[in-house]
Amino acid sequence: MALDLTKVATQVGGILPRLKTRREKHKERLQSALDFLRNSTEDFARLKAKINASKTTWPVAGLFEGLEQSHPALPLPTEFTIIASDGSQIDVDRHQSFQCYLINIGSVALHYGPHPNAVLESRPRLYAEDKDLMITAPGRNTQEEPIKGALLDIKRSVEECHRLVELAEELPPGSSILALLDGSLTLWGLTAYPNFVADILLRKGLLTYLDQLRELNKDRQLALASHISLPGSKDVVNAVRVAVCPDEPVNCACCSSLPEQACDIVTGLLDRDLFANLLAPGERSELFFSQSKVVKEHYGEHPIYFFYLRLNDEIARVELPRWVAQDDGLLNLTHTLILNQCNRGHGYPVALSEAHEQAVVTAKDRGNFWQHIESLLVNEHLPTVNSSKSFSKRTRWI
Amino acid sequence: MSENSRVGEVIEASTTEFVAQCYELYQSPPLGSLVKTIPTPSGPVELYGIVYQVTTTGLDPGRRPIARGKDEIDEEAIYQASPQLEKLLRTEFGALVVGHKRFNSTSSASAETSQHEQENKLFYYLPPKPTRIHSFVYQCSSDEIREFGQSFDFLSMLLSTHLPILAEELTAASLRQMSSVHPDPHTYLVAAGKELAILLASDYNRLKAILGRIRE
Repeated sequence: MALDLTKVATQVGGILPRLKTRREKHKERLQSALDFLRNSTEDFARLKAKINASKTTWPVAGLFEGLEQSHPALPLPTEFTIIASDGSQIDVDRHQSFQCYLINIGSVALHYGPHPNAVLESRPRLYAEDKDLMITAPGRNTQEEPIKGALLDIKRSVEECHRLVELAEELPPGSSILALLDGSLTLWGLTAYPNFVADILLRKGLLTYLDQLRELNKDRQLALASHISLPGSKDVVNAVRVAVCPDEPVNCACCSSLPEQACDIVTGLLDRDLFANLLAPGERSELFFSQSKVVKEHYGEHPIYFFYLRLNDEIARVELPRWVAQDDGLLNLTHTLILNQCNRGHGYPVALSEAHEQAVVTAKDRGNFWQHIESLLVNEHLPTVNSSKSFSKRTRWI
Repeated sequence: MSENSRVGEVIEASTTEFVAQCYELYQSPPLGSLVKTIPTPSGPVELYGIVYQVTTTGLDPGRRPIARGKDEIDEEAIYQASPQLEKLLRTEFGALVVGHKRFNSTSSASAETSQHEQENKLFYYLPPKPTRIHSFVYQCSSDEIREFGQSFDFLSMLLSTHLPILAEELTAASLRQMSSVHPDPHTYLVAAGKELAILLASDYNRLKAILGRIRE
């Protein structure tokens, strides 16, 4: 039975008046926040100290030089290469007789300049061994986490970065390269798992790949960044929230039960709302750094920095490891090349768009994949026990 | 283009025609030109086809090319600015099968030496089996075109086809291509015209349409 849209339509109609009211309130709050930023006479060093001393229930952006400054992009180099990777997966299906998952990493290397060239590729890999299906705590076989769902998402992100290392190594010394990933460099989901999972996927995974990318800078100019389209983050808004708080030190626990709080003037705002008003097209914001728990606890030498980038139609968030952020050459290269990629790709980096096209696994592909496995098992006279639920979904009767 | 150069690979095949994908974007053999697939141990037949259609489209049928050149000075600049285009577009050509050459392998008396003598003969009718997917497609050399064009038997096949292109257009294009490698193109076209006059004795309009397209 298809979704009954007529029943949904009346419910959608009911929320429209509320959306209009919320929009008005949002405009007022945005104006207050912008007025505060433009007119604040507060000493910036004092604000940094206030943020450092604050105890909040939400992540606050770490500050360096300011909140509202903007930086234009530098001219485009005459010759450069963009490498990008993106992945998709077929998750473990507990209703299937064969327990496995598949990660398909799509990648592109786009070379711009007098001799333009492009290499587009996809690399599917099947994981079906016991060691592939579980992450086991070293020396403690009883402690293990199955790789599926959110954990498979994290593993895929790690594999995407691994692919960038391979691509970067293949490029000749002396190249100017931007390595691009889609989404956040912060593996947020890791907080839900025991520490040994972070140790294996992050310390022995993502961070080693970041090390290798940094090492490649010895004989080439290589920047790494991730691009987040339409970001929903509030780190910088939360910095404003700390700034407007009358208490010092800021401690959310003290006033969370009060009906009205001073920081309510920024409630509901996102960082992108602020920077849509502070940046001109092509400009980037000041650099900030992530103070999220997972980065602070696990990222070691690769703390995550970020800036916002004003494109023609949206604000993008660009995340980069410290070694890129603190090198002016790499930072400017990242800004210039991401902007250029977005301009070529109608607002989204063309290299990421093509990497996604290489990686994408459709619902039909998934169906074909499971059907192929089942037919192989049948050919080998191996048992194919599917769940009754799976059978019921495939053979729909009345 | 060098003689006997490989221009593509078969991606669709039927008894009457095949479609080949070019290895390089836009590098298709011209309309009306003679191409061939070469014999393999599993299929000892050389198929001859005449190119009737060339298309360039997006590799993925779900992705349509978009206009990109508003701010570019020329077409070349679009390809320079988007190097991935060369990998996302593909050129294909369709070829109508107009004949084949059978390679009759006969083992010599000594099986140990495994020497084969090959005979070949050109037939101006359809082969018993279509070519195979992934067969390599070559543009025929001048010698091969002259050999194939010695007889006009292929004209009746061209005239009776139902293709997206007018049969008169294709017939004229193929004769122009064949005459271009002939030592005396004019004599060749006159001979072809006489043959067409016989084949189209009852259809003056079609004959006129073709003759109008091969006039030098």
